[in-house]
Amino acid sequence: MTGFLRLMRAEWTKLRSVRSTVVCLVFAVGLVALTAAIGGSGSTTDANSSGPPHADSVQFAFQSLDGDGSITARLVSQQETGPDAKAGLLLRTAVEQNSPYAAIMVTAGYGVRWQGNFAPDVAGTVGKAPRWLRLTRSGGTVTGFESPDGKAWAQVGSVTLPDAPRAVAVGMFVASPPTGLKNVRRGPGATESGPDWTVSTAVFDSVAVVTATGAPVDGAWQNIDTSGPLPELPDTEITGSFTRDGDRFTLTGAGNLGLLPYGYGADSDVVRDSFSGIYLSAIAIAVLSVLFITSEFSRGVIRITFAINPRRGRVLAAKAAVLGLVAFVTGVFSAVVAFLISQPLLRDNGFRPPAYPDYSLTDWVVVRAVLGTGLILALFALFALAMGTLLRRGAGAITLAIGVLVFPFIIGAFLSLEAESWLRRLTPMAGLAVQQTMRRLDDVITPGPGLAVLASYVVVALGLAYWQLRRRDP
Amino acid sequence: MSIEVRGLRKSFGRTLAVDDLSFTVAPGRVTGFVGPNGAGKSTTMRMILGLDRPDAGTALVGGRPYRSLLRPLTEVGALLDASAIHPGRRAKDHLLWQAHSAGLPSRRVDEVLEQVGLSAVARKRAGGFSLGMRQRLGIAGALLGDPRVLMFDEPVNGLDPEGIVWIRELLRAQAARGRAILISSHLMGELEGTADHLIVIGRGRLVADAGVSELVSAASGDRVVVRTSQRSEAITVLANAGATVASTDRDTVTVGGMPGERITALLGAAGVPFSELKAHRASLEETYMELTRETVEYTGQDLTVGEVR
Repeated sequence: MTGFLRLMRAEWTKLRSVRSTVVCLVFAVGLVALTAAIGGSGSTTDANSSGPPHADSVQFAFQSLDGDGSITARLVSQQETGPDAKAGLLLRTAVEQNSPYAAIMVTAGYGVRWQGNFAPDVAGTVGKAPRWLRLTRSGGTVTGFESPDGKAWAQVGSVTLPDAPRAVAVGMFVASPPTGLKNVRRGPGATESGPDWTVSTAVFDSVAVVTATGAPVDGAWQNIDTSGPLPELPDTEITGSFTRDGDRFTLTGAGNLGLLPYGYGADSDVVRDSFSGIYLSAIAIAVLSVLFITSEFSRGVIRITFAINPRRGRVLAAKAAVLGLVAFVTGVFSAVVAFLISQPLLRDNGFRPPAYPDYSLTDWVVVRAVLGTGLILALFALFALAMGTLLRRGAGAITLAIGVLVFPFIIGAFLSLEAESWLRRLTPMAGLAVQQTMRRLDDVITPGPGLAVLASYVVVALGLAYWQLRRRDP
Repeated sequence: MSIEVRGLRKSFGRTLAVDDLSFTVAPGRVTGFVGPNGAGKSTTMRMILGLDRPDAGTALVGGRPYRSLLRPLTEVGALLDASAIHPGRRAKDHLLWQAHSAGLPSRRVDEVLEQVGLSAVARKRAGGFSLGMRQRLGIAGALLGDPRVLMFDEPVNGLDPEGIVWIRELLRAQAARGRAILISSHLMGELEGTADHLIVIGRGRLVADAGVSELVSAASGDRVVVRTSQRSEAITVLANAGATVASTDRDTVTVGGMPGERITALLGAAGVPFSELKAHRASLEETYMELTRETVEYTGQDLTVGEVR
């Protein structure tokens, strides 16, 4: 081991004693910092201008309730289009979008939930359909109950609605949020994206609307999409539907209701975006890594290296270790600098809670993205080192190493969306997934597997380089 | 410790660079390794250092293959190519990484820089060095591990006269300490006064492997130089008597295949005056020309004709 440390020390001496190293590293850090500064000051958002991010787009079948009373119904079945698919009872002070409301519902993934006017959800039991649900109204106060059998009732939540009028709308609703992103390629590089809505169907029976005295209210049922039809790509609209067959009420619809999860309104990953200068610093690192070995081949210094250490594999390993460490530290340092530069700028430009998360350097996803940036640069340095070892010529190896990084970006724009997403999964750029700090619907690969894809390219490239180094005279 | 090369063969594509080459570099003397450019000297040295893989044969250092040496830099110091330097690296750093790599203390760097006379430019980047300075830097690297075998490829190239004297003294001193030294050159004159022993190769094959004095006397042959004012008469007389005669200068002829006494008798009988009669002694350069000319003339044939033992 001490022998290997000696080798690493020798390789470190080689690396630090030439000016091109310093130049490349300054470029690597500087370009990330510059990109972060430009991106941070140039981006603005109004995501927080309309209050906390929330949704109110449901298919609502309702009638009017004058004064106090209640609505009871049994949710017979619910089509589980995703964990956030919702079906249940809804009381609104008006049918217009974003009116004050209260709702008790069954979700496909999280059991019974209570929502009191865009406040955070309250959890009931984990039961699924069939399920009995009830809303009672007394003045401005609405209370939600659930029951497995329609006999034993348990209260889930209660809310007082501001300025509640005497007549409110009560009824059943269904909503089904998008579980993916729909992309339409309009031309090379021109892609339009929108939510990929799913439509869920819910069936209710035993519906009873009664006054406080228990008298049945038998008004006329109407239905509405509270946000109007939902636009969907390429150029279609989704509208819900409502049918009644005796006591059997069937609703279909897409959409969502309630407060959106923390950071859900953010349509961009501000941390990852602030690291986008990594592409430029990867180029600087590729140049440095390729030259680290090809400058030895071109001048014959490699013969001195191998004369002192005839075990060529160990020399390559020492070079890889030193280069990997230097690139890792450079990547981590650049990421920290980029984060510290960009986040205050972005916060001032509207990227702040509640629509956008308020991350600090100690949050796990940020730590992962920062260390991940170091790992990406380290792996990329090793890939470039392997290319340099294989080709032994600087120009060719630099072109190849950078080409492998950039090629998927360029060619991807001309492919079908399906082919492009596979390109993003299977080429070294998959490793960039480690910079994600939020789950976006257009992410094609998660951090762990993404890094593994990049690492396997590096392992194969280094394996070939080692084989070539042993086989061919220097 | 010595270098032993046995039956070494190496070809690059269709070109046979080294062909069945065998020789020994013994300790305590300077062995010159001579041949025209492209004769296979550098290839042979690279094979000794385990850099190029021979197609056949072995090269042993102290009885072992180079690549199995535990600390090669302390066993063999080599200068293969003076331009094997990163131009952006300072002279001191160029030696420092080699010292780290071989596990030698950093002070060795200052010592060898002093030894080759580069202390003053230790902090200068090697890109600005003259060829002579690069040679010195390369030699410094070879001396780092104070090895028992030294191997220099064309070290005199680019050295100024002072440098040539310096390297001669260095090599003589190292040989006196019992080091085995192999030094290549394509100009035999460079080795005159330095080498004790010569290995001459041409087209990858061994042409001669002998001591310097043996080689010179062999090349001189049993020829006699005759100084005479009547050159053409002398040539006629001697040639008629069966000698091979060549006129080498305005008033001298070189006579082969005839002992001195018979020349004296013949010239005396014919009344040709002559002032001097002496055995011919070839210079190292002439010897070399003689030997390598044969390698060119006898291409494709058995070349043992040039081998003198």
